[in-house]
Amino acid sequence: MSHSIFVSDLHLSPERPRINQVFFDFADRTAAQAEAVYILGDLFEYWVGDDDLADPFNASVADALAGLSGKGVKVRLMQGNRDVLLVEAFARRCGAELTADPTLLDLHGTRTLVMHGDTLCTGDAEYQKFRSYAHDPGNQRRFLSQPLAERRTQMLGMRAESEKSKQGKSAEIMDVTQSAVERVLREHGYPRLIHGHTHRPARHLHTVDGRRCERWVLNDWYERGGYLRCDSGGCKAELL
Amino acid sequence: MVRLHTNQGTITIELDDKRAPWTVANFLSYVEDGHYSNTVFHRVINGFMIQGGGFEPGMNQKPTRVPVKNEADNKVKNATYTLAMARTSEPHSATAQFFINVADNDFLNHTAPTPEGWGYCVFGRVVEGTEVVDKIKGVKTGAKGMHQDVPLHDVIIERAEVV
Repeated sequence: MSHSIFVSDLHLSPERPRINQVFFDFADRTAAQAEAVYILGDLFEYWVGDDDLADPFNASVADALAGLSGKGVKVRLMQGNRDVLLVEAFARRCGAELTADPTLLDLHGTRTLVMHGDTLCTGDAEYQKFRSYAHDPGNQRRFLSQPLAERRTQMLGMRAESEKSKQGKSAEIMDVTQSAVERVLREHGYPRLIHGHTHRPARHLHTVDGRRCERWVLNDWYERGGYLRCDSGGCKAELL
Repeated sequence: MVRLHTNQGTITIELDDKRAPWTVANFLSYVEDGHYSNTVFHRVINGFMIQGGGFEPGMNQKPTRVPVKNEADNKVKNATYTLAMARTSEPHSATAQFFINVADNDFLNHTAPTPEGWGYCVFGRVVEGTEVVDKIKGVKTGAKGMHQDVPLHDVIIERAEVV
């Protein structure tokens, strides 16, 4: 049956060879059966720029996705919060297309909004401030003008800072806020919503202005791979 | 649906993939692996629950996959004949072991996203074979090694199948 697959928060990195292998097998087999594969952000643990494609690990991930698109599967890439700098050159190398955050799809007959999910976490003011900084074109240009090695060092420093600041935050603050979810559902005409980012996989039902909307949260791949499979009959969670 | 063939009879379970989709996906991955074949209900407490899916007869623990995230905030209640994931004191530590509630165990329900309040994720209910569950909850139990409430005669899941 014609179906699409959604993943996010794979956080691929040379430091986690076991989960990388799960990803390569997934790209080779499971994903190859789909009409389209949507990667809704944080494919990589960190991304310092598309000129880092000479790195063998990065190249191997790009090759896996290129293999998938070579089989006729539509591959769509959305930036997450870890790979804000992942842009057209990487997408081209994978035979993929970049997808804006958010994007409204006609998914096998159901209007479906896809997002990374970090913009829904409006309770975390500190993170939203960092997000604005990271998305600022001037800041991105300045960062990208530095040598690769320097960028890697800075990125590792930012990751460590971010992990440290998470320690002091409550689970509620790092989750989506109800009002932000309701706002995007209202703005987009009450679609089904699929997003990642929070690492709290679930299916929620929201009633907004008397309309019932389904919200799927994707699982992260830190420990175990998984995906959402959607066809004309609905969506189903699968763990690898 | 999943059918558990036990040496006490067959229990048919309807899975709630709408309210606990990732937990159901996790459970099905063990069913499809054949993990539950020749495992026992190793902790049986009448008036509370029957727990199994982790040990072979002789109390040999089977290896598991990595834990699944706890979806107990779906607010599905630990009511009689529902199926929930067993875990350690860490909320997101469930792997293969599950239990069948044999009473309305409200104190296992989710109340808050804290270690104490997470609760236990209900992901299915028994739709056929409640009399088998009742038979199992009534078996004689005792201590075996480190474990309390272990049936004196093994209650074995011979196999689990998706139907």
